[in-house]
Formats: sequence, structure tokens, C-alpha cells
Amino acid sequence: MSETILKATNVSKTYGKNKALDKVSIEIKRGMIYGLIGENGAGKSTFMRMVMGLIKIDEGDIELFGETGKKEVQRARRKMGQSIETPALYPELTARENLKVQAANGGVSEREIDHLLHLMNLSNAGKKKAKNFSLGMRQRLAIASTLITNPEFLILDEPTNGLDPSGIVEMREIIQRLVAERGITVLLSSHLLDELSQVATHYGILHDGKLINELSKEELAHETRQYIELETTEVQKAVVVLDELEINDYEVVNGTSINIYERIDDVANINRSLVLADVNVSRIGTTRQKLEEYFLQLTGGNSHA
Amino acid sequence: MLNLLTAERIKLFRSKKLWIVLAIFTILPILQAVNSKISVDYGKELVQVVDTVINGATGVLMTEKNGLTVLLVISAFICFFIGEEFQNGTIRNALSLGRSRTHYYLSKFVMAALLSLIGTIVMTVVGIISFTVIFEFGEVAEINHYFIYAIKSFSTLYLLILANVSIYVTISFLTKNSGIALIWSFLYTIATGFLPDIFQQTTHFKHVTYWFSEVFLFYSDFANPADIAKFPVMVLVSLITIVVSSTIGIFLFKRTDIK
Repeated sequence: MSETILKATNVSKTYGKNKALDKVSIEIKRGMIYGLIGENGAGKSTFMRMVMGLIKIDEGDIELFGETGKKEVQRARRKMGQSIETPALYPELTARENLKVQAANGGVSEREIDHLLHLMNLSNAGKKKAKNFSLGMRQRLAIASTLITNPEFLILDEPTNGLDPSGIVEMREIIQRLVAERGITVLLSSHLLDELSQVATHYGILHDGKLINELSKEELAHETRQYIELETTEVQKAVVVLDELEINDYEVVNGTSINIYERIDDVANINRSLVLADVNVSRIGTTRQKLEEYFLQLTGGNSHA
Repeated sequence: MLNLLTAERIKLFRSKKLWIVLAIFTILPILQAVNSKISVDYGKELVQVVDTVINGATGVLMTEKNGLTVLLVISAFICFFIGEEFQNGTIRNALSLGRSRTHYYLSKFVMAALLSLIGTIVMTVVGIISFTVIFEFGEVAEINHYFIYAIKSFSTLYLLILANVSIYVTISFLTKNSGIALIWSFLYTIATGFLPDIFQQTTHFKHVTYWFSEVFLFYSDFANPADIAKFPVMVLVSLITIVVSSTIGIFLFKRTDIK
């Protein structure tokens, strides 16, 4: 069984009367890219800040790299890197100097600086002040800054926020490269499930401070897979035909609708069989539940995601 | 702690603010020496009690002469130096690596104290040199051992400044915003500079008067034997201020949520 990097058990945080996190339990194992999804204000950043020790936990426990004691957890945080919301950089310093500062903060050598600038496509911008960087460059520099301490666990809060489409693709590739080449475990957040689904291996869905669902990439793919949507006023007769066609993976949604999850490419034959059996077909066609629709369905449909 | 100090050193040396502060502390004594020379040329006689610095020897009191300016410049520097860490979010970079908040607080205080020390040394040395060039070195009346006096008065003046530095650091960590910290620091400096004079007029608050470092900085004459005799009290008030404000600052900072 792979090592547990982070185990949060029933963590809660309250700001005044507002419960930002309500008994959230998440376990992240080595090698995972854990995507935390939720609308703005769902508690994603609060959870990440708690893990990093930036805000106090009202209730619950955090276990990091198997450590549970207060001092031990604090020490374990040296194996972590973070970039929360906006890239935290010194605008008056150059890219190289920003990395030097973080190397000093972490008590590590500056040897990796050139390599990291190259890795993040910032080799030519090493002497440029961070305040003159584009948002994409700032995001990449912020990630380079987190990597200077050679972290085993990376926390990225909305790393694609504000990026243009090419910047989003680039950021996604960087994350995947870090996991593949350095074996880093990643916890990242977004309010866009579609975007997260391109990189994450596991998902946690936060809504109003509560973790309402956790699923793997495979489970998400299953939940949002393609299917044939059949609408008919004669569901019973249609079911008999589907059984005769040896179709087993289907779901009677209601009195007029059936979702068929197999033989997706065989719509024409299924339709012909139904018509030949004198089933009154109102509509038949393939469809896919979009990730966003799935998310809305889970959160009750009142989100902005 | 040493790692944090190294990071602070990199930030500070690349900071324009540091060089602006040092430039102010360098240029101000030269301008004042030239200004005094012009006044003398127009027939004014320099008097130590009024003008504080009248020759090279009294140049050691340059920090006393510019007490309010020094405090306002240093407070502005500290408010930006600390407040911007919160506003840029860069404070997270160090704290999320498991660095102790006490060490983080102390590293900022140490850097602010070092800047103040360098600033006051620069101001004093440039003051002594520029006043010596224009008015000769001369002497401080009733002082027999100048070197010992110079060391004692400079150290006491620096400690009085440091007590305020400690307060500015505390204010900056509590407000977490350079603009708000600046307003509170200015208010504190002005209030504690002038409120004690009001306290002095009252029965109930009279004893509080001498518990603010600015009282000594603004209202003492460091060349006067009676005030020189108060150096130990000044040192005590400064040390108590530093310990109390830093303890409160660290205590509250450790309980602060970092956004």
C-alpha cells in the first residue's frame, strides 16, 4: 500500500458564524494528483491553508508524512511547496532573486536555480523583475519557487486562474511533468471540473465547507460516460426489446426515459429493433453528461462552477 | 532563524527603500550643516541647548536633533518592509515551509534594528564630519572624556530609537497592511511624542510621562549633565518597551490567520 502523504480527519474551521469547513476528511497517497473542486467560497483555499499551517484548525487532525505531533507536523511541512491563489512573489526582485530568497527560506542550496528557470521556460527572464512578468510567467515562477526546496508534496490553489488557453495547457503540462519526472504528489484546486479532469487522478468535491463526494478518475469517467438516451411512452415494451438485444447495462430513468450505457455506436440498429417491435420512440440519440452538469447535480445546481 | 535572516538580507539589499532611507540619513546632516553655516553668516549665533548640534563634537547628537524625522522615516520603512509581505502573500512562502512564527517575527525585528543602527551611525558620522568641516570639531561643554560620552550618548539614543522600532514592528504585524500600519505608526509617534506633555499637567497620569521613549528623545538635552544622569532610566524604559512590545507582537502573530 502506498504511503499516506496527507490525512485530514474531520477538520473544521469557523469564521464568526460562517462555517468555512465542516468535518472534512481527505486522504492523499503518494503519487496522487488530488483535485479539490468547489465553487468560490466552498472552502478549498481554507483547507489548503490549514494543511500548510497558515490558519488554525478549530477541530480535527492533520497528519503529514505520517507525523501527527504539532512540532513533527511543522517539521514535515519542509517537504511541502505551495502556491496559493495569486503567485506570491517579490515584484521588485528578478526571477533569479525571487528563487534565491526562497532557497534561503528553505535553507537549501541555490544550485537548482538555473535548472528550474530552464524547466519553467524562464531562462531568458532570469534578470527581469517579477513585476514586469505576464500572469503566466508569474505562475511559472511561483511554481519554480516552490520547487527550489525540492518538495515531495505540492499544493497549488487554482494554478490556472486568469491564464489564457495556451497558458492553461502549459500549466497542465508542467504539473504532469513534475509528477512524472520528480514523483511529486499534488493537491490542486479549481472551480472548473472540466479543467481538473485533464490532470487529476482523484477528486474531492467541496460544497459549503463539506466534502460531498470523493472519487477516482475512473469513477468520474464512469459517472460522466457517454450513453444512448431513449425517450418513449412505452418503457415496458422497450425494456423487453433491450433484453432481447442482450443489452444489460441500461437504466430506466423515469416513465418516459431510458439511458443505455452499452453499444453506443449501434443506435441505428437499436432504433430499428424498437420500431419493428412497435415501440413508440419519441427520441433516441447519444449524449454525454458534461462534467459541469455532473458537478451541478451533486451540489444541487446552485453553484457558479 | 539564520536562513530567514539570509532571505531578509537578499530582500533588503535589493530594496529601493533601504537606499532611500540611507540617502535621507546621509543628506540630511549635510544640509543641516550648510544651513547652520548660512545662519551663522547671516549673524545668528549657534546655541547648543537650542540647536543641539553646533560643532563636530556635538555631531554625536545628530539623532537627537532629528529625532522626529528619524522615527517617521524608519516607521515608514518598517511598515512597507513588513506590510508588503502580507499584501504580496510572500509571508506564506516562509511560513508554509514550517518556519517558526517567532523566528519570522524576530528576523524582521533584527533587520529593522540593523537598518536603524546603520542609519543612525551614518547620520551621526556624516553629522560629525560635515559640522567639523564647517565649524571645526570643538568640544561638548562640561564633558571631560569625550569618547566615553560619545559612546554612551549614541548608544542611549539608539536604544530610544530601537524601542520605537520595536513598536513599529508590532504595529505592522498586527495590522498586516502597510498603509494602515503607516497611519497607526505615525499616530503613535505623534501621540507619544506630545501626549506626555499633557500627562505632565495632570495628577492621575503624571507618573506615565516618562514611560515613553520619545519623551527623552524629544525633550532631553543629551549634552546637559542633569539629562546625562538619566541615561540609565532611558535604557531601562527602552528595554522594557522592546521586551513588552515584542512579546505582545509575537503572541498575537502566532494566533493570526494568514490569508
